Amino acid sequence: MAPRWPAHARHVAVEFVHPVIVGKRALPAVAVEGPDLLGQLRLFCRSGDVLVALARADEPAVASAMRRAGAWGIATVWIGLGPRPPAGAADHVLWCGDGEDGAVHGGRFVLLYHLLWELAQVCFEHPGLVKAEEQGQAARQGQSCTTCADEGRLAEVVELVDGKAARVRTPVGVEEVDITLVAGARAGDLVLVHAGAALSMVEAEGGAVP
Amino acid sequence: MSLRIPSNPEPTDFLYPFIDSGPVEADRLMADLAASATAKMAQSAKLRRDTVRLLSEHVEIVARAVAVRVRTGGHVFTMGNGGSSTDADAFADLLSAPPWGKPIPAHSLVADRAVLSALANDVGYDLVFSRQVIAYAKASDVLVGFSTSGNSPNLMRAFAEAKRRDVLTVGLAGYRGGDMAGSPDVDHCLLVSSDSVHRVQEVQAAVGLELWRRLQGELGGVAHSTSSTGAK
Repeated sequence: MAPRWPAHARHVAVEFVHPVIVGKRALPAVAVEGPDLLGQLRLFCRSGDVLVALARADEPAVASAMRRAGAWGIATVWIGLGPRPPAGAADHVLWCGDGEDGAVHGGRFVLLYHLLWELAQVCFEHPGLVKAEEQGQAARQGQSCTTCADEGRLAEVVELVDGKAARVRTPVGVEEVDITLVAGARAGDLVLVHAGAALSMVEAEGGAVP
Repeated sequence: MSLRIPSNPEPTDFLYPFIDSGPVEADRLMADLAASATAKMAQSAKLRRDTVRLLSEHVEIVARAVAVRVRTGGHVFTMGNGGSSTDADAFADLLSAPPWGKPIPAHSLVADRAVLSALANDVGYDLVFSRQVIAYAKASDVLVGFSTSGNSPNLMRAFAEAKRRDVLTVGLAGYRGGDMAGSPDVDHCLLVSSDSVHRVQEVQAAVGLELWRRLQGELGGVAHSTSSTGAK
């Protein structure tokens, strides 16, 4: 996605779908466009997908999507310029020191995603390169509550069942949880789920943090 | 995107020659890849600087010629295929919705998928741009085509159609310029001498930016005080 510069989003997609070098793996990549980018992403993305965003740090739809990545189960790459987003805003932050002229219009962004494509292809052909990372993720996933063995997980409210329960989305699917501790939760809100209950509101739909 | 490099028996070897030289540890390989990526960034930056400098005089001439057209009500049309279609979109966006300076009426001939798919389906892909030139272009207009090979048949057909209508024609090409170089239908061919599709596209963006800056200079567009940080 590239809310302000949609041509860049299309360029990233075509790069992966139709590689310039014959014999390279074609990968499913789509440019998410339209008036409701967050809604489109929420609908379309699946656990395990990678979101590549080209945007400034203050782009609301991108910032909101990045915060939901943990609930959707997607990895994130944020390419941008200007003031940097807060630490941890995306899995990978590739930031340009140039002004908008050079970065957006003068080829710097294009260079960054060309390299991203090229290095991704190298990793496919040398699977040993990604093993270390997978082991690291497995180790992190092993951390859980000592009392109940469940984790604290980020989830997005899909719909309310009644005043006491809601269906929420996490990387492993949709489940029903108790919401009595987060009264007023609505669809689109981000909540922290633990042991079958939403413990706290992380962010309300629309960006408001309680 | 229009030119495909022939299949290589070991696909990444020519991108990263060191990679199959022997069994190496992942950490070592990652370090080598990072170094290689850094080198490519430097190479791209150098090619951008060198090409913009080399083409400086020609870009100035093109900017003046485009400015003459724009001042008399001319519109700028852009075109390209694949990745170059997004360069055509981006250049039209830069002209018509600039980060600073004066907006210039511009339209990308790949922007309307109804028109594009109708023409591709009914008359063939080689004519998707030339038919739009027939429909839209007037003598005061400008047609800018992006191609890495310089050979795209649909671009060449459109340039020929534009030339017949006294439209100013500008081609951005890579490699050795292909059919665009030396074509009587292309008034100005701005060549990025590189054999890498990726480097060509990166540098074409820089050349397009330079052309737009000079065009703003011609039209009296004043750089916004925050243009260096890119506020839009």
